[in-house]
Amino acid sequence: MDADSDVALDILITNVVCVFRTRCHLNLRKIALEGANVIYKRDVGKVLMKLRKPRITATIWSSGKVICTGATSEEEAKFGARRLARTLQKLGFQVIFTDFKVVNVLAVCNMPFEIRLPEFTKNNRPHASYEPELHPAVCYRIKPLRATLQIFSTGSITVTGPNVKAVASAVEQIYPFVFESRKEIL
Amino acid sequence: MPKLYRSIIEDVIEGVWELFAEEGVEEQVLKDLKQAWEAKVTQSKATEGFFKHSHYSPQFTLQLPHNLHRTLQTSTASLVIPAGRGIQQFTTADLDASRTGATLTLPSGITYPIHVPAGVTLQTASGHLYKVNMPVMVTQAPGGTSILQHPIQQIFQQLGQPSVLQASIATVAQVNASSVPATAERLQTQEAPLQHPTVLQQRGVEAKHSENSANATLLQQPTRSQQQVTTNTILNHQANSTEYFQYTNLQTAVFTSKSSEMDSTTEPMASSSFSITRSVQDQLSTELQDSVQQQVSDDIIEMIILGNGLDASTLLKEQDSISVTEEMEPTVLMESDIRTEKDICSDIEGIIQLDGIDDVFPKEETESTRDVEENEFIGIIDAEDLKVLEEEEDEEGDSISNAESSGSSDTEEPQIDIIEEDPLNSGDDVSEQDTPDLFDTDNVIVCQYDKIHRSKNKWKFYLKDGVMCFGGKDYVFAKAIGDAEW
Repeated sequence: MDADSDVALDILITNVVCVFRTRCHLNLRKIALEGANVIYKRDVGKVLMKLRKPRITATIWSSGKVICTGATSEEEAKFGARRLARTLQKLGFQVIFTDFKVVNVLAVCNMPFEIRLPEFTKNNRPHASYEPELHPAVCYRIKPLRATLQIFSTGSITVTGPNVKAVASAVEQIYPFVFESRKEIL
Repeated sequence: MPKLYRSIIEDVIEGVWELFAEEGVEEQVLKDLKQAWEAKVTQSKATEGFFKHSHYSPQFTLQLPHNLHRTLQTSTASLVIPAGRGIQQFTTADLDASRTGATLTLPSGITYPIHVPAGVTLQTASGHLYKVNMPVMVTQAPGGTSILQHPIQQIFQQLGQPSVLQASIATVAQVNASSVPATAERLQTQEAPLQHPTVLQQRGVEAKHSENSANATLLQQPTRSQQQVTTNTILNHQANSTEYFQYTNLQTAVFTSKSSEMDSTTEPMASSSFSITRSVQDQLSTELQDSVQQQVSDDIIEMIILGNGLDASTLLKEQDSISVTEEMEPTVLMESDIRTEKDICSDIEGIIQLDGIDDVFPKEETESTRDVEENEFIGIIDAEDLKVLEEEEDEEGDSISNAESSGSSDTEEPQIDIIEEDPLNSGDDVSEQDTPDLFDTDNVIVCQYDKIHRSKNKWKFYLKDGVMCFGGKDYVFAKAIGDAEW
């Protein structure tokens, strides 16, 4: 009764961050001059390349490491990353698409109820940390999943995890605990 | 404006002339290069009325009161004429005894109609100040002969005489020069025949002008309908042209538009001697330069207004010759004999509206916006427009350019690759941008930046000192502000 395991909650993935390597040195200046839709940050040694189609922003280093952010799903992230690699290849670099890895997935979820944070924190001592003076949300870590949830009193929860699956299970895990400390409307 | 291009071409050719000689390349090659360059520029229509659009260079003849006639004859009229982008040159015209007139030759760059807002004071070479009380429009009358009007005399007589502005009279007045330290008019002598000597004297007059900050009034009485012309374009052109005048051929008064931004450039001009020779017509192009000095109609002060849509006939300032007339389609009615002026066409099309006045003609609207851009690129540019721009423009010191390099041939469709970790399948599956650098237009901006800012996908540009080719036409700006969405 407290925990409804079948939760039909909408989990919205807002951001997927992934990395890949091109296995070749990249000439940032050349990318900056010849590439399309690029921002050259010479001071930090990066080139940002934005793509429209899967709306993503890629940070490119001269070592060949590329970080891709802004995708809304894992597949999209991979697709975008490949597109990006293709673009670099067209610029003339011997690009090999390797070591693709999704490193972070950010999702939001909304509970249909509000939550009493101090109570929640007390009940979930080791995992939850709450510093209202610093941040209005409770930070709940699920170590085995390596996921972090930020629980707000409005019932909105922000989840970040290594992949979409972890995020989904994190939400499922937290639901019962949050449900316990919900604010009931009389 | 055309002057600018001319001067640039001249400078470059001069500069490389020696190199070419050293290398052992024939001089003819250099000449060919120059011709090809000029031809290309005129073709590109990047500058309106540039080298006399091969059609006409309308000429305005200002009629001055009789008493002025004599002075005009040998003196150069310094008229500050806001030409839509262009330099106007005056050549003293020999006026008939019956009437004295000053022919103002507006640079070919001017697009008609030219609107002289009220309150502008024009000063002719002879030093007379004419204040235009009512907005006047100088239009290019079809037919191409300059028109002199008597009424002009009246106008001249008194400053700010409303009567001056008669419907039939179009005057080009320069907006207050007060703000502009140097208002010099550059008249462009269309043809070599223009009287340079008189123009040359402008120098002295110019000085006067700058002090007076007076503008010459170009009075014209178009027989045809007059159209409102804004001087904005002129102003803009002025600004542009101020940079380059340096020709000894003609001295021209540089007209600086009130846009103060341009002022800096104008000042030097006043002091420098400008001889601007512009051969309006292609034919004259190369020769004019040399011949300008030689040919001088001497007596006539001509204002040649070259408008965009004007037929090409270049000027001639000869007083009697109406050679101009033949060339120019639009003709301005001349009250009396003909001066070798160009006519002001009745159609306005050519003239770009410089200021923000509501466009009278729908056509001008588009132009006016451009003009605004010329002066100050203020603006909120449409996202769409900007998209185009952002693709093309070269901004920032780094000049991030949208190269089409990656663009080319993309084939495809975004297919999700099933292979993990596999090398890109020769990239065929993964296509690049869908629309490879779509906007591959030729709109280019070359400038310096003050600040470029981005928030998410909202960009803000604070640019300065730039030239741009937009819609096939060239513009120059001292400051430009833009917004864009990516």
